[in-house]
Amino acid sequence: MKYCFFCLAILLQSCIEQDKTIKIKGSDTEVNLAVELAESFHVMNPIVFVSISGGGSGLGIASLLNNTADIANSSRSINEEEITLFQQKGIQIDSFIFAQDAIAIVVAKDLPIDSISTNDLAAVLSGKYSTWKSLANKDLPVNIYGRQSNSGTHDFVKDKLSIEFSRNAKEMNGNAQILEAIRADHSGIGYVGAGYVSHGGSKALKILPVYTQENKDAVSPLDAQKIAAGKYFFQRPLFQYYKTSSYIKIKPFLDYEKGQAGQSIIHSAGYYPLRKL
Amino acid sequence: MNASKREAIDRLLKMVFRATGLVTIGLLGGIFFMLLFNSIAFFAKGNPIDFFTGSQWNPGSDAGNYSILPLLASTGFVALGSMMIAVPLGIFTATFLSELAPDTLRTILKPVIEMLAAIPSVAIGFLGIVLVGPAIARVFGIQNGLNALNGSILLAIMALPTIITISEDAISAVPKTYKEASLALGANKWATLFQVTLPAALPGLIAAVMLGLGRALGETMTVLMATGNAAALPKGFLDSIRTITATIAIEMGEVPYQTTHYFALFAIAVVLFIITLLINLLGEFFANRLRKFHA
Repeated sequence: MKYCFFCLAILLQSCIEQDKTIKIKGSDTEVNLAVELAESFHVMNPIVFVSISGGGSGLGIASLLNNTADIANSSRSINEEEITLFQQKGIQIDSFIFAQDAIAIVVAKDLPIDSISTNDLAAVLSGKYSTWKSLANKDLPVNIYGRQSNSGTHDFVKDKLSIEFSRNAKEMNGNAQILEAIRADHSGIGYVGAGYVSHGGSKALKILPVYTQENKDAVSPLDAQKIAAGKYFFQRPLFQYYKTSSYIKIKPFLDYEKGQAGQSIIHSAGYYPLRKL
Repeated sequence: MNASKREAIDRLLKMVFRATGLVTIGLLGGIFFMLLFNSIAFFAKGNPIDFFTGSQWNPGSDAGNYSILPLLASTGFVALGSMMIAVPLGIFTATFLSELAPDTLRTILKPVIEMLAAIPSVAIGFLGIVLVGPAIARVFGIQNGLNALNGSILLAIMALPTIITISEDAISAVPKTYKEASLALGANKWATLFQVTLPAALPGLIAAVMLGLGRALGETMTVLMATGNAAALPKGFLDSIRTITATIAIEMGEVPYQTTHYFALFAIAVVLFIITLLINLLGEFFANRLRKFHA
């Protein structure tokens, strides 16, 4: 009886065809993009299956550690604690940046301001400046349109500027609602994923280039070249972590992502590919 | 043999029905104690005085500010605003239906009004974003219409069916002899309506308003979509607000379990639960008085 189960287990194991399925887990930000990539990859390579699930960057990395995923998608880099865990288990990992995500700072078209420094932006979003007087010389109140606190974009902007958002900031349900509100509001400011403004979504809006204390050269989130060079303030790399030992298995998928077809899917999904198209 | 079998079935069915009744009570009690248990964990960690007197709800900050005041004020604002719109509209509609409308119109209007209750709250919230919001912005010359007024208007629409249906029942239940006596004494139609019929129906009207208010207080999706969700203490109807329900809906999905923030959400849920419970009890109390009064 015991052996019976054992045989059955082996039989089932062989059905899954471990070698032919690449399991990807992790970041919810990247899950849609990863699904699109996987679908078109499967069309080209019908014998290889790719399964994708979300759950957050942390979960993806934990799955990689527990051997339940081959690739971990992550919108943040792996932290010290996780590195120690991998070292304890003696697992060697490697990372691959397959795209860049950027966040655009958006205002209404007729607001007389052309670029913004990160310091000013922090003052505006934290509620220190309640009018546009000092930045745009207009006595209009600042209306902030942001995302709700369960959004990764909300946290990213907050952490990057190291501020607390003003309590008067409106929390909208999504990127599209933010853009719609700023279109109607001459004194509004908001932040959205760059994908929402890069494909003609910026009508009647102005995307503010951002500069920092150190680098006075204002960079627009729509400038793919600058983003490829890592020059934009609100950009984050989208990582894929994998075990060095399973590189051979996942190599076809990584190559596909790097290739022309993969990169153009990344571009049309609103992210920044790593190479010029 | 046959009789004892019937008795057995009788007993069994009695037990089944009693059990179903007890399940409902058990559910209510269970939910209440689950909320209470988790919020006690919050009060053990945080400062209960800050919870009621502070002015900030900002769980993300390092200090962790958990004050229900701005949320309670927001909920109060929309509930009050919606009642200011829905009560006159609802009671006058109910009066029209039961006293003035011709029979054919009444048979059409009543089901139509009740159908209003069947509109999903998401759809009403959507109307708030695309229709009511821009209209408010235009009328008041402000930049954005996602505010307490918008929420009030939408919640008024949602509370109307409750208020109209119950008020109409209350007004129709006023004995005919009251009206006949008033008219016989020479009072005209309007005096009879305002000084005899409506005062006689008052307990029922109060019950209607209370149950409508209960509906408005607990509504989540509509206010989440249409009121802007700014966490500052509101100063007027044109400020963006963030109600208790919207806060729970937004934050529950992301909060790490068993943290102060997690328990704080239960604490505000308990406060909301107690408020709606009191209002519903008050509504039931007046509804019962009406029943006794007419019995």
